[in-house]
Amino acid sequence: MSTAVHVTDLLILVYFLALNSFYALLLVLSIPEIWEQTRLAEDEDFQRLMQSDALPPITVLVPAYNETATIEASVTAMLTLEYRTFEVVVVNDGSKDDTLDQLRHAFDLYEVPRTYRETLPTQAVRAVYRSRSRTRLLVIDKENGGKADSLNAAINASRFPLVIAVDADTLIEPDALLRLTRSFLLGRQIAAVGGTVRVANGCVVKDGRVADARVPRRFLPGVQVVEYLRAFLFGRLGWNRLGGSLVISGAFGMFRKEYLLAIGGYQVTSVVEDLDLVVRLHRHLRRHKIRYEIPFIPDPVAWTEVPESGRILSRQRERWHRGLIAAMWQHRGMLLNPRYGRVGCVAMPFFTFGEMLAPVVEVAGYLITAVGFAFHLIDLSFALLFVLVAWGYGMLLSLWAVVLEEVSFRRYGRLGDLLRLLGYAVLEAFGYRQRTVWWRLKAFWWAFQGRRAWGEMTRKGFESAGKQVAEQATARRAD
Amino acid sequence: MTSRQFLVIVAAVQGVLLVALVVLIILNRWVRARRRAQLDPHRVELDAVMQRWVLGQAQSDDVLRALARLPAALAIDALVTWSARIVSERWQELARGLEHQWWARLVRASSRSARWWKRLDAARFLSVVATPHDVGRVLRLLRDSHPAVQIAAATTLERVDSQLLVTAALEQLPFLGPTVQAYYASVLKRARPAVVRHLQLLFRRLNDPRLPRIIEFAGRLQEPALREGFTTLATHLDAEVRSQVARALGRFPHPESVAALSYLVQDDAWPVRAQAVRSLGMIGDPKTLPLVREALRDAEWWVRLRAGLALTRMGTTGRNGLLEAEVGADPDARDMARLILGLSPQALAEFAA
Repeated sequence: MSTAVHVTDLLILVYFLALNSFYALLLVLSIPEIWEQTRLAEDEDFQRLMQSDALPPITVLVPAYNETATIEASVTAMLTLEYRTFEVVVVNDGSKDDTLDQLRHAFDLYEVPRTYRETLPTQAVRAVYRSRSRTRLLVIDKENGGKADSLNAAINASRFPLVIAVDADTLIEPDALLRLTRSFLLGRQIAAVGGTVRVANGCVVKDGRVADARVPRRFLPGVQVVEYLRAFLFGRLGWNRLGGSLVISGAFGMFRKEYLLAIGGYQVTSVVEDLDLVVRLHRHLRRHKIRYEIPFIPDPVAWTEVPESGRILSRQRERWHRGLIAAMWQHRGMLLNPRYGRVGCVAMPFFTFGEMLAPVVEVAGYLITAVGFAFHLIDLSFALLFVLVAWGYGMLLSLWAVVLEEVSFRRYGRLGDLLRLLGYAVLEAFGYRQRTVWWRLKAFWWAFQGRRAWGEMTRKGFESAGKQVAEQATARRAD
Repeated sequence: MTSRQFLVIVAAVQGVLLVALVVLIILNRWVRARRRAQLDPHRVELDAVMQRWVLGQAQSDDVLRALARLPAALAIDALVTWSARIVSERWQELARGLEHQWWARLVRASSRSARWWKRLDAARFLSVVATPHDVGRVLRLLRDSHPAVQIAAATTLERVDSQLLVTAALEQLPFLGPTVQAYYASVLKRARPAVVRHLQLLFRRLNDPRLPRIIEFAGRLQEPALREGFTTLATHLDAEVRSQVARALGRFPHPESVAALSYLVQDDAWPVRAQAVRSLGMIGDPKTLPLVREALRDAEWWVRLRAGLALTRMGTTGRNGLLEAEVGADPDARDMARLILGLSPQALAEFAA
């Protein structure tokens, strides 16, 4: 018994060391990357070039399901992005509310014959509309088939060689498209490119734009700000140097359409369509020996509303992890397969053993330590030391993400916001982290059960978020 | 070493790093605030001196002194900003003065730096204050491995006359993306005669796979001397070449352009037909009205759309053509005419852009 506990403890320690060494590597690699990206983002000559009229044309794909509350503001904001040639294809995915009527009324839609080939199979398209007031806009009304199906329908209808998938409730910064095209202008062989997604909760939103970036006062959305900073500014920048990121956010990512068509578009059975898509993209491009890059650029920003209740957040995290398990299982042939280069030998092992199995190992660690402690096989001080080190490492990574934000983009200018960020980075380890581990662990159960559901996602809406801040400000003035 | 000792060491290192990171964040804010407080007065002073210099109330030496008080990167930013507002002769005076400044010599020397951002600084600096002595440096930066440096160096072509630089830039053109090509087209305006001569040579390489990109670039120049070259290429075997020719000819209202476009509007490839009918609309020759009306019945939706939009640019006769098609027998032409006539002026402008 004693030997078993000690051997397991040792294995967990080795796992913990290997994983954290890899994180340390990402951390180191993120430094030169953010330096280069910040320099390019600030280059005024380059920005002048980016405003040229010969930029590659882009199609913005917007799947919408029951978005009555926000659709008009979101689409209006997308139609007024700073970019010369782009179109917006909104897909009403069989909404049960009056999303389509809202669009019809707001943009003076009229039905047009379908003039494109349905390259990707989708649910039946009921009608295609164009707008009399906004020629950039195309609206497709189709039977309900889910987000991936809607994106496939939008890809079919898109005219341009670059497509960008955007959630209907995501707020894109006006110059984000210009910035996203930077890699394409720099002449690299780009297959896809991802931008940063930030948390909109607590921010002041005016006319579909984030007018004032704030860190939420409530713990749950606030701690997600730190999580998002960590995931984007530190994790993905590090992966740029390793050449194998498997994730481009579904809420804000740009792809070369020819490659999306080559892999059959989005997979409708996947619950995390973005991860699945990028893994299949890597597989296709590697198999066909096509030179490519899938970089992440930090300065194009889209803002999204994150869950404020534990119930909704748990569903989201469980679904994300279930999608990760499904993708890793489905593409297990790539794991440690040298044919797939760094993706097969570095990214896939990290996402399988590091990301996917992490909650299992962490819970196993807690259980073994508890058992060992109960049977007097491990002394209390060692157990506490182990937990302290594990949590301390998480804190370090979170603080590093805050450092990167502070030395580069500094979206949160107020001292109060900075202090809140630091507070959340420290407090995240106590309670919140353990809850996410539990949610991710549940994903294994549901994955084995073959669950495909997305779960309901309720949102407050951006206007109310802005209103909330305004109300808080009024309350403070009244004090 | 036992696992306990190892964990103690890791915990201690973590503690130190945690404190260091918090201190780093606080220090970063403090240093930035302090730096801003120090530099802002110098920036304001430079702007004021520049303003006086533009009005002839200050000497260029005053400007050079104000520039020297700023860090090189900020001085370069200021030079790039002001260069667009000041007439060439006065700016040349400043550029000559900068040749003898110590900080400017350092920036020039960094054109050989191993660090790309240093070379970018040098390229940006030379893009506004290069003199004939800098041709060698600019040539090196134009061939730099970092595309951002190349782009910044290309801007120098706006200010420095050099056949060597023009040829180097044109050699790179086919390997550049359309946006960067467009940028090169704008910066090469000054060296137009040399550019046109070189392009006329390139037009003769009929089997060159880079030909479509070269024509695309040449079209952007809108140079009348190149029109004949375009019309000659209207019968090229490559559809992409014909498509680029059809697009470019819209910028040259000339009987030969109209003749070539009248031929291209009947091409087998629909992208060529779409570009040709678009160009016919841009030229607006009433004699081509029957061809454009015919294109409104094309099998391809995009050609019909371009034909409909072209008719809106052909005055009353074009509009009458659309009105006739709206009640005509051809269902495709009828639908397209309805669509075009239903568009608002704003929508038409968006399509034309």
